[in-house]
Amino acid sequence: MKRFKYIATFILAITVASCKKYLDETPQGVVSKEDLTTPANTDAMVIAAYSYLGNDYYFYPFSSMWAYGSIRSGDAYKGGGGPGDIAEFNQLEVFSNNTITNGSGDNVFYQLYVGVARCNTALTLVEGQDVANYPQKTEREAELKFLRGHFYFLLKILFKHIPWIDETLQKSAANYGAVSNVALTSDQLWTNIANDFKFAAANLPVTQSDVGRATKGAAEAYLAKTLLYQAYTQDDNNNVTGVDKTKLSEVVANCDAVINSGKYSLDPDFADNFLPQYENSPESVFSIQYSKNDNTPLGRVDAGHCLNYPMDAEYGCCGFHVPSDNLVNAFKTNAEGLPEFDSFNNTDVVPSGDYKSETFDPRLDHTVAIPGHPYKYQTDLVYQASWARDPQSYGPLLSLKEVVAYTDPSFTRFPPFMSSSKNWEVIRYSDVLLMKAEALIQMGQENDALPLINQVRQRAMNSTALLKQADGSPTSNYHMDIYRPGVNCTWTNAYAWQALMFERRLEFAMEGYRFFDLVRWGIAADYLNNYFSVETKRTPHLVGAHFTKNRDEYLPISQAQINFSKGLYKQNPGW
Amino acid sequence: MRKLLLSCVLLLLIAAKGYGQVRAITGKVTDKSGNPVDAATVAVVETQLATATDKDGKFTINAENGQTIRVSYIGAIASVNHIVAPGDNNITIQLDLSGTNLNEVVVTGYTSEKKKDLTGAVSVVNVNEIKDIPEGNPMKALQGRVPGLNIYADGSPNGGVTVRVRGTTTLNNNDPLYVIDGIPTQRGLQEINQNDIESIQVLRDASAASIYGSRAAAGVIIVTTKKGKNGVQRIDFDASTSLQYYNSKLSTLNAQQHGQSYWQAQVNDDQFGVNFLNNQPVDPVEFGGVYTFDWNHDYSNPVLNAVKISPFIDPNTKTMASANTSWFDEISQPSVLQSYNLTLSNGSDKGNYLFSLGYYNNKGIIKETGDTKYTARLNSQYNLFGGKLKIGETLSATYMKDPQLPTGSITILSLIENPIIPVHTVDGVGWGGPIAGMDDRDNPVRLIEDNKQNFNNFGRVLGNVFADVEIIKGLHFKTTYAVDFAGNYYRWLQIPYTAGFLSDNRTIAGQSTDYAVTETWQNQFTYDLTWKKHQFNFLLGEENIKDKYQNFNANAQGLTLADINYAYLSEGTSNINAYGGGAGDALLSYFGKINYSYANKYLASVTLRRDGSSKFGADNRYAYFPAASVGWRISQEDFLKNSNIISDLKLRAGWGQTGNQNIANNATYSLYQSIYGNRGAFNGDSGSAYDITGAGSGTLPSGFTSTQTGNPELKWETTTQTNIGVDFGFLNNKITGSIDVFKKDTKDILINPPYLAVLGEGGNEYFNGASESVKGFETLLGYKGNIGSDFTFALTGNIAAYRAKITKLPAAAINGYPGNGTTQTIIGRSPNSQFGYVVQGIFQSQDEVDNSATQPGKGVGRLRYKDLNGDGVINPTDETYIGNSDPDFTYGLNASFGYKGLSLSFFLQGLAGSTVYNSYKYLTDFTSLAPGSNWGTRTLQAWTPKNTSSTIPALTLVNNNDEGRYSTYFLESGSYLKLRNIQLAYDFKNVLKSLKLQRATFYVQASNLLRFKSSSYTGPDPENPGNGYPIPVITTIGINLSY
Repeated sequence: MKRFKYIATFILAITVASCKKYLDETPQGVVSKEDLTTPANTDAMVIAAYSYLGNDYYFYPFSSMWAYGSIRSGDAYKGGGGPGDIAEFNQLEVFSNNTITNGSGDNVFYQLYVGVARCNTALTLVEGQDVANYPQKTEREAELKFLRGHFYFLLKILFKHIPWIDETLQKSAANYGAVSNVALTSDQLWTNIANDFKFAAANLPVTQSDVGRATKGAAEAYLAKTLLYQAYTQDDNNNVTGVDKTKLSEVVANCDAVINSGKYSLDPDFADNFLPQYENSPESVFSIQYSKNDNTPLGRVDAGHCLNYPMDAEYGCCGFHVPSDNLVNAFKTNAEGLPEFDSFNNTDVVPSGDYKSETFDPRLDHTVAIPGHPYKYQTDLVYQASWARDPQSYGPLLSLKEVVAYTDPSFTRFPPFMSSSKNWEVIRYSDVLLMKAEALIQMGQENDALPLINQVRQRAMNSTALLKQADGSPTSNYHMDIYRPGVNCTWTNAYAWQALMFERRLEFAMEGYRFFDLVRWGIAADYLNNYFSVETKRTPHLVGAHFTKNRDEYLPISQAQINFSKGLYKQNPGW
Repeated sequence: MRKLLLSCVLLLLIAAKGYGQVRAITGKVTDKSGNPVDAATVAVVETQLATATDKDGKFTINAENGQTIRVSYIGAIASVNHIVAPGDNNITIQLDLSGTNLNEVVVTGYTSEKKKDLTGAVSVVNVNEIKDIPEGNPMKALQGRVPGLNIYADGSPNGGVTVRVRGTTTLNNNDPLYVIDGIPTQRGLQEINQNDIESIQVLRDASAASIYGSRAAAGVIIVTTKKGKNGVQRIDFDASTSLQYYNSKLSTLNAQQHGQSYWQAQVNDDQFGVNFLNNQPVDPVEFGGVYTFDWNHDYSNPVLNAVKISPFIDPNTKTMASANTSWFDEISQPSVLQSYNLTLSNGSDKGNYLFSLGYYNNKGIIKETGDTKYTARLNSQYNLFGGKLKIGETLSATYMKDPQLPTGSITILSLIENPIIPVHTVDGVGWGGPIAGMDDRDNPVRLIEDNKQNFNNFGRVLGNVFADVEIIKGLHFKTTYAVDFAGNYYRWLQIPYTAGFLSDNRTIAGQSTDYAVTETWQNQFTYDLTWKKHQFNFLLGEENIKDKYQNFNANAQGLTLADINYAYLSEGTSNINAYGGGAGDALLSYFGKINYSYANKYLASVTLRRDGSSKFGADNRYAYFPAASVGWRISQEDFLKNSNIISDLKLRAGWGQTGNQNIANNATYSLYQSIYGNRGAFNGDSGSAYDITGAGSGTLPSGFTSTQTGNPELKWETTTQTNIGVDFGFLNNKITGSIDVFKKDTKDILINPPYLAVLGEGGNEYFNGASESVKGFETLLGYKGNIGSDFTFALTGNIAAYRAKITKLPAAAINGYPGNGTTQTIIGRSPNSQFGYVVQGIFQSQDEVDNSATQPGKGVGRLRYKDLNGDGVINPTDETYIGNSDPDFTYGLNASFGYKGLSLSFFLQGLAGSTVYNSYKYLTDFTSLAPGSNWGTRTLQAWTPKNTSSTIPALTLVNNNDEGRYSTYFLESGSYLKLRNIQLAYDFKNVLKSLKLQRATFYVQASNLLRFKSSSYTGPDPENPGNGYPIPVITTIGINLSY
């Protein structure tokens, strides 16, 4: 019995002594929220917010928005290996079979809110610092509000009614879950986004020593963009009901601030915007900075466009984002070198493959990869019809602006995909010029808009140096002119409006925002159904495509999110 | 305590010594194989003195010469009489125990009980039935043999397997807890040498399992390894060689047929007005002119004369000659599987040992796959101080070497890669690969050849040391310390390649290592007490467990040689990346158990366990898991005791609670991580580094990413289970069986549901919220018989069924399960429910198309979906619950026949009533869902205006009708019946009498030889409806020798 006592005491001693702390396991390789409150870590959290600008991916390409703004606009087909290859994007393209359970809408909604959340987390930390230890406090606040404005802007043009979550709301499932997407009106949401940009514009320096950081000019330009969208008032069914002139004059004022800063100008060649060696050029108002060989597994590269390369041996995947026949036709010019506003689509140039008999805007060959034309200005890399992924469904073309030559140092592979570390322009200076022109025309000042549009056209006209075949001959037959009232046109307000809409299309084709222009202007339904009626005859994959007015202007709020919100979120009209 | 009784008897006898020749006779009772029989009754007929044998089968009883000692045992067919002769001492009496397994000692958690005393639902696996099945994982061989135990496996050589006890218990990890030689572990059995296993027990219900508390909710599987037997010196040698091959190949198109299907699809599209350019039908041409077609161009009656294939698939460069590759044949092989085992064992009063060595090599039926496994075991025990102190250890070491091939990709690629692609380019060296118009999928032969040099090395050492001291009679203290160390070492080389338009010019060397170590320390007291007819067993114990895990991996590019012998990290010159992480958790538990038996008739057992886990919030770390069960051995009642019909009958009822803590270690904490950048080819980047300076490369500044929201309120999930069962034996236990019915309810299920998007990343949070209920029954019936003395036979069958349903789920989690999230939810349904559209057949005419509901993309020859809500539009509101992959019931039948030295046994296993999603149909039935790939031969039978009876929709290249949507079209019957195993064995021990072999058996056997499936299942094997490693037929010859 004695032995028993000894043993029992021994065991009890061990177990009792050990049990208190035995179950304490410190998490490994992680930090807690408290660790983030040092000035250095807080500043790092601002970087974390920036980094989400480029964290997109081919299934939710929110850097250029090509899947949401380009393939829904009549400028582009989805491309890839038939309509079933990322079928959710096919649903976006044809509208008619899009559903409230389309996963791609839910995905981009979530991804953009991750960006918002990173901004809010960093804002809370920045606001917790005092200026003595953290002199850059206000500037960083301004940068974060700029970034948050960017993410909210994208959410707003995609979904219209979105929950507004900012740093004043302490993060918890209960607090965030109590904010409805209809708590604020559409107009109030625009005002909130504009306020973020206003704060940014007021507190950011004109020039940043880190070129990737938002500047005063970037904030003013984005503010102008926000106000321009807000100026076109919509009713509850997405009908454009009017244009707010006060907002338009604010657009003009902000564009002027950017223009008069003297910091920005159009690059001499249109191509420079889409070549890696001209990153952060004077035309770049704000761009997403990508990198490679940066100690991450595949580089912090532009993966949002990794499907958009051709299928030849030098590349190999995946043939997405195909310019439509309609878009190619839009680059045709008339005898005066001006766009054919009404008749451009009457004949289809694509099946003929003949780019010599008619005349074109040079931007065609900066934008569209055409069989027989040098790919990415490489005369020894001539694009072939066989480089297209599924020509039976989508024809022989591909998109050029987002890609680089495989020989370019920025090019990188992550098989089966590939992309580059080339920056992506969120706002180019030409956008500032055309936003101002748009506001002026809407305000009846079309004559003040003329030089702005012509400035953009003049640069395009001059951009033929790189558009040459191996023998030095021009790739296509270019003939283009600026608008010369009384000489080649009559510059009425209505004509100027046509010119502006066309100029935006040609200048920014395949850059991802065309659809949102159409919705802003209130013409999406008519424009797209008209497009479908002709284009369906050219490509089999558009059979059944139809834009439902008062519904398809915006993506539905995902049913999953409505369910998560326990019904607090309200579905968009028509869905 | 029994010894105490014996001592008393002894004392009485000593007192009676004066009466003459009465003397103490010691002896031992064994079964026919020499195993000691515990608790056999030993009586002297003349004096009515009686005693019982102890655990070692030993007894001492007083008798005179000429008196008869009768040894009997409950359930045994006959008793044995021994007439005491002069000089009798240390006699051994053999008892024929065939016809009963009631004496079987069943390990039931920290202690063992005899089967007759069990009150919980415990299944004892007949290890003999499975020992020669060369599956690489003993659990695989158990498929269908234990009612209520469902095993899901594919044919991969390394023996991965999914084990479910009584369906699912929770929405989380449903893997059972394995207890190997007393040490709990979550790792399965594929690393254990099947030959070393003495017994496997499955604790199905909570009254049996709750002694394992927090980790027992999904059932417990107890494995005991072999020990040396007392007084038996033995050498066992087992060898087998198998040939394995695939007999369930998917039928895919050859190069000509592919053209035929393509042409038909294109002509259909032209005909039905889907496909035209500039108002003209498009003449069929595939892959930019590689396929052209000679046909009559008559759309009202299209006739294909010939499929024309250009000599090269890359006509410009002419490197790839058009082929007719059968990809599956290129990647698969009949292969050899070998297994060798050597076991040495010995035992005496002083102790025992067992030493074994095993070698297992499975070459796999996909080329260059395989598994090589070496195992070694040393189990030994030393008895000191006259058996009062026993110390010992069990130690096993395993080393496995497996090539790391992406087998899932390879099997599916062999089905979708176009047959026109050659394996190699014309130079015989380069790789064939896709051209424009084809899927961006790799050449599967290249995947094999370029990865075959990459091996994972796995090592595991699992061992424990124990000391068991008998403090006073019947009171034991046992302490056990165990370490389970498992580690992987993997080094790989990525070789640059070009295969068609796919290419990667990087040479990458990578290395990864990890280790997981679990330390367990158990301390327990057991006390056996017998007083009159009352028998008590007490258990009191404590256990602490600590898990640690660490990993490291790195890779580097820019190697100058693509050679595995060169592929070390130091040789990389660019893109050097390194990663590492760690985790740990701890468990601290106290437990106690009392078993009570009155007159071998009335049985009861009570268990209580208190478990603490580091995974839960500080206030919720500990929980109690109680259980109680009772049993009534009716056959021991006087009114049945002498029945000729009923030889055994026991009613059992149990109730208990078990837990589950199988979640992430740090779930209670809110965490941030510095994720510099983590983009993979197929996943987005959640990194937090940014090129803020615009440098374009170099080291980037980085912030932190929220990865998890902590929930300090987390607590255990608890499963409450009730089980009622009956065990029976009739006609001298010729017929035996059991029936169990059960109901288990799990509440506070730990879930980590998808969440509101506005929370951003790290919004994932574990909480206790869901409930699931499962009920079911299990029956087991066996018959043993003989015709004459030479022919014996035995049949054992089982049927089991369960129904599971989710009874509670928070709104936030509902979307994680099939359903529409609002009106149709998973509540009240099985978590394995299937949700989608109902297909109503194929539109036969334009009239039918025009008069049907609005369905974007509908047309003649297309699938017609049912307008369930009758609103005239086919949209997500027309989805409903269309199936359930749970089987209605599962069954197994084992039959064995013996004639003299010859024995034949076979085992049938099956399930009925499940609906499986046949994902192969994407490829076998459609040309539009994977337009650039190869398709199944079923496409040749698709609907056309002339073949309107077909159930396969018209071929098309454009999936406007969204026919890939989840619908009844893809749901098929998963019922099957398989001849899992058949074996013919010959015992030639008597032929080689001079060698004095204890065992000499030669056998031939086959696994998975026959398969019966429902005709509605169109894929190769309903057991494996996804794209897993195909299940092969394995034919084996083997030999077992014991000396």
